[in-house]
Amino acid sequence: MNNAPPHRSFHSLAQVALFAALIAVFGLIPKLDLPFGVPITLQTLGVMLAGCLLGARRGFLAVGLFLLIVALGMPLLAGGRGGLGVFFSPSAGFLLGWPIGAAICGLIMRRVSRARGRTVLWPGAFLAAFVGGIGVVYAFGVTGLTWIAHLSWTQAAVASAVFLPGDLLKCAICAALVQTVARGLPHWRLAD
Amino acid sequence: MLNRPISNESWLHRVPASLKLLVLGICGSALALVQDWRWLAAGLTITLLAYASLGSVARQQARHLRPLVVMAAAIAAFHAWQGAPAVGGASALRLLTGVLLATLLTLTTRFDDLLDVLEKLLQPLRRFGVPTARVALALALVLRFIAVFHQRWQRLDDAHRARTGRAGGLRLMAPLTIRTLQTAEHVADALTARLGR
Repeated sequence: MNNAPPHRSFHSLAQVALFAALIAVFGLIPKLDLPFGVPITLQTLGVMLAGCLLGARRGFLAVGLFLLIVALGMPLLAGGRGGLGVFFSPSAGFLLGWPIGAAICGLIMRRVSRARGRTVLWPGAFLAAFVGGIGVVYAFGVTGLTWIAHLSWTQAAVASAVFLPGDLLKCAICAALVQTVARGLPHWRLAD
Repeated sequence: MLNRPISNESWLHRVPASLKLLVLGICGSALALVQDWRWLAAGLTITLLAYASLGSVARQQARHLRPLVVMAAAIAAFHAWQGAPAVGGASALRLLTGVLLATLLTLTTRFDDLLDVLEKLLQPLRRFGVPTARVALALALVLRFIAVFHQRWQRLDDAHRARTGRAGGLRLMAPLTIRTLQTAEHVADALTARLGR
């Protein structure tokens, strides 16, 4: 990091800050509701995108920065939630899983884009979003539910599974977006 | 919406942010350790009294707490149904008290003050190579750009409505994301030009 040329370091800073802002804006966008009343918020899509487009390190930092601002009291989580209180709520595990999930997304994305080139990126992006944005985030979230709400592992997993259809849809959107960005910004260094 | 106005001052507004943060840390840890629901109930009562003493500020925010009460009730009911009402009661009480305490801090402390405390807390980390000034700069950038991006989203949505007569929805994510990435480059250039390192 310290050896990076100075303009590169400001690039990282700006990307991290602007992606944190993008995740916040995704939370302000009116949320969609699945037919059976489960809300999908777009913020986890922001987490997947941060990992896929910024890479492991900067993706982690962008999501971490966003959570820091939420912790300081900005009502930026979907539905206008914010403040330290959300980190005591039963779903706190999911939030703590976000930065790790973004980092894993970034690691997988880098592997994939190096191995496969960038012409057909969407399957790799889907895989990265699935493992990082669903696998890792749910692992943290379910653990949090067993600790905070004292549910058993099965109960917590069943409770979380309600969000699975929406999150799968977000993986697909993430994959499409990554492909679009790769085409729209040819010089962008994916997950570098 | 970002600078939540704190209209009616209360006694808790005048307590320094660092002290409130310290008390929250201690209480939060205590909550995690205490298992007996009677102690937890006492803690919740004290927290509720403190909350009520804030007056109109607390009343304005009370509706935001409704989902929390529902969630706590659901947890308690679930455990009661599973035959462990004491566990459920303790979890629900712990949840309510923790969130209320944290809300107390958030409601009565200005964002700038929390930022100051944060910067001071981060100071010692500077020795380990954490660039504290850059963290502060990044925080300021995020706050500024949330407003910009939200506006940009609305403009894209207006344009889409004008063309098709329907809301843009998910279709606008791609242009918004690409614009974000492009903006990042411009901002980085501007920072390099101004700060010159």
